[in-house]
Amino acid sequence: MEIQELNALSPLRAFDESLNGGLGKGNLGVLVSRHGIGKTACLVHLATDKLFRNEHIIHVSFSGNVEHVINWYKEVFRQISENRSLEDAATVYNEILANRVVMNFSQENVSVEKVLSSLETLIRQGSFNADAIMFDGYKLTVATEDDVRKIKQFAMDLRVEVWFSVSPVRPDVQFDDNGVPSTILRYESLIDVLIGLKYNETMDKVIMTLVKDGETIDPKPMRVTLDPKTMLISE
Amino acid sequence: MSEITKMRNIGISAHIDSGKTTLSERILYYSNRIHAIHEVRGKDGVGATMDSMELERERGITIASAATNVSWKDHPINVIDTPGHVDFTIEVERSLRVLDGAILVLCSVAGVQSQSITVDRQMKRYRVPRIAFINKCDRTGANPIRVKQQLIDKLGLNAVLLQIPIGLEDRLQGVVDLITMKAIYFDGPSGDILRYEDIPAEMQEDAAVKREEMLDAVSLCSDELMEAMLEEAVTEDMIYKAIRKGTIALELVPVLMGSAYKNKGIQPLLDAVIGYLPNPTEVTNTALDIDNEEQAVVLKADEKLPAVILGFKLEDGQYGQLTYIRIYQGKLKKGDELVNTRSRKKFKVGRLVRMHASSMEDIVEAECGDIAALFGVECASGDTFCHPSLNYSMTSMYVPKPVISLSINPIDKKSADNMAKALNRFTKEDPTFNTYVDPESNQTIIQGMGELHLEVYVERMRREYKAEVVTDRPEVAYREAISQRAEFNYTHKKQTGGSGQYARVAGYIEPIEEGEDAKEYEFVDMIKGGVIPSEYIPSCDKGFQNAVKKGTQLGFPVVGIRAVVNDGAYHAVDSSDQAFQTAALSAFREVYDRAKPVILEPVMKVSVEGPTEFQGNIFGSINQRRGIIISSTEDGAACTVDAEVPLSEMFGYSTVLRSLTQGKAEFTMELAKYSRVPTSVSEELKAAYQEKRRKEQGK
Repeated sequence: MEIQELNALSPLRAFDESLNGGLGKGNLGVLVSRHGIGKTACLVHLATDKLFRNEHIIHVSFSGNVEHVINWYKEVFRQISENRSLEDAATVYNEILANRVVMNFSQENVSVEKVLSSLETLIRQGSFNADAIMFDGYKLTVATEDDVRKIKQFAMDLRVEVWFSVSPVRPDVQFDDNGVPSTILRYESLIDVLIGLKYNETMDKVIMTLVKDGETIDPKPMRVTLDPKTMLISE
Repeated sequence: MSEITKMRNIGISAHIDSGKTTLSERILYYSNRIHAIHEVRGKDGVGATMDSMELERERGITIASAATNVSWKDHPINVIDTPGHVDFTIEVERSLRVLDGAILVLCSVAGVQSQSITVDRQMKRYRVPRIAFINKCDRTGANPIRVKQQLIDKLGLNAVLLQIPIGLEDRLQGVVDLITMKAIYFDGPSGDILRYEDIPAEMQEDAAVKREEMLDAVSLCSDELMEAMLEEAVTEDMIYKAIRKGTIALELVPVLMGSAYKNKGIQPLLDAVIGYLPNPTEVTNTALDIDNEEQAVVLKADEKLPAVILGFKLEDGQYGQLTYIRIYQGKLKKGDELVNTRSRKKFKVGRLVRMHASSMEDIVEAECGDIAALFGVECASGDTFCHPSLNYSMTSMYVPKPVISLSINPIDKKSADNMAKALNRFTKEDPTFNTYVDPESNQTIIQGMGELHLEVYVERMRREYKAEVVTDRPEVAYREAISQRAEFNYTHKKQTGGSGQYARVAGYIEPIEEGEDAKEYEFVDMIKGGVIPSEYIPSCDKGFQNAVKKGTQLGFPVVGIRAVVNDGAYHAVDSSDQAFQTAALSAFREVYDRAKPVILEPVMKVSVEGPTEFQGNIFGSINQRRGIIISSTEDGAACTVDAEVPLSEMFGYSTVLRSLTQGKAEFTMELAKYSRVPTSVSEELKAAYQEKRRKEQGK
């Protein structure tokens, strides 16, 4: 199969459709769930889909282990290319790799200003025209409202789409039926798209609920779910 | 205890400038092998004992491994000082191969750097148990606890602190041993006198916490210790045993610390070497049995068995060629007969010596497991020597292919002779260093792993061999490849008196799919009905093999190509081996352009480390060099940028980086892969190649 066809058949088209054409530049999208549900996989799948469509991605991680992140991408790419029998997969992988940079902050409690300034350095001095930035494991639930506002402003100024994967830091956080922790609600007004992930045992799937889309707050299940075995988004 | 279980073969591996040569020096001093301490780049003009080459003294780096034998508390220890720069990793790999354990030296300020990661990966490959020594705890900004955490995060090691520092930076006084719960101070002008005291009152609480952490981690390696902990009956001996077990099984890495320069923490490190690193009988080594289809055989460190010995390093000394050996099985006596498995040559062991960095002592016998050196043995690095009853070869070591070449011209006849001598020795010593004479330009070409690698050899030629040479610009080792399938049908016919030549070959060439174990060249015989007789099939193969040695784009080897022959014709009288070879070669030349050939270039994995304030400059410098930034990691004030950059763009990068970052950043690189050259660049390369050919033909 060739890339064009692979992109047309991607379950991510249904994902974008649920969002009326995708998140869009200048906007903040947030994936929330409890720990260990598959947010990173989901985020990497979103990013890989963008890479397949020639977009430039910065993946921001706070884990201290870049290799780990790179392996996630390798694995997601391998699964997609094998499922779809992608032609000349090794060459495609090398090509799309050039459009992804992993930016890693191993220091605990690095400030939002520092992260944003490094991102801007990469984009401007490194001439890396990012289309989207994926924040993996950022502690958004303990960030201040001001921090989130700065990120939103950054997204608008540099015309990038920004995605977050968020897990609550405190163990006593309450989750609602859609897997959304109460602590995130403080910033709801700054978030453009909020998606809750929750494991459903009877279906053996991770249900993705679109909790907020633009100004509409009307939780409804998306057409896509997350397969807990492959950790990929599927229809 | 028998001799062999006391023996230790250890290496000291580290990032450049983390102080491993100073550390080696201190080890030699405390084990009473040298009488005074000389500093690297020392003011006394003597230089550290381990750096025996003049050049190393000047540059302050260690190029070749020097093996030396020391003794600590009645344990013989062979120490191999390994080079730190990535250009010389073959040396590091070779020494890791013959070691049973290693000390990983880290700088307490810089922590785990890219080179530490490379070295650690190599240690993992050869399954070398290791202990970590966090050096330079006297430096400003020292933070051994952070470095220990990096060992866990960045290298994925189960690092366990066995000590904590008493004071840091300029107030470093000693260490607290978390096993004996004693404070150790190093008194006297050279730290010779160990003074054991109670742990300072203000540190007791921290020490107790760290001891608990240590016990928790260590107890996972020992049920006995775990039970004793539950019963609160832990003894020091149990802890030692558990750490030893875990270290040898590669389940944990004990972390010690100090400052070699300030003579602190070295003796406990030596205790740890004999306490936790394995003796030769505790490590499994295998060889390949050549008489039995290269089946792997496990070698036993038993002196009664026939000898199996690896020659891992050559050196030309004043008295002839010196071969460093490691005895894996059996033992070696003067006068013993050995066979070189590769050359099948028999020889008698003449002079057998044990090495100290630049002096030696004659010995009559070398024990099983030992490292020694032989004189005057005709061999190459990596050769195996066996007792005549065996035909074993030690598993071949991983040797990367050279990525850079440089043409060198001697200035006069005398230099030419000396240059030949030097090259002969260097190529024997270092498998990543090649040399050949280019038949077209008639120039001598040397090939290696990087700019610095070749520079060092050129300088060594000048200094050690008095060979004055003029060097050209270094050249990248490009490759050619085809991008699509193309068919050929070629008839080779020649009837000019005498016996004629006739051969027809038809088929196609196609690219081999990229992949991890993709072959460089493949020949497929799909001839049916004997239209080409089977005796001429290998001739076709040979013809293609000759053809792919040199593509027509830039004259570099063609790789990733499959040649398939599915039709042809022969003549009962005029066909011959030569005719089919020529037919295949010509068929290839004719079809090559139709298969849309492309040029591949070596792309290096480059890792730049420096202060965060220069991150923008680093990004920019990579971007200007057609580089791809893979990742950037920030850790406080330091950042590491990993990128892939074509080698051709990396010439002179060290100078550029220095000026961009006020000398505060450094970089390492190694070959990542071969990638297609962008069209604009390949057009330039082709034009330059044509120009060069025209000039040569015009001569």
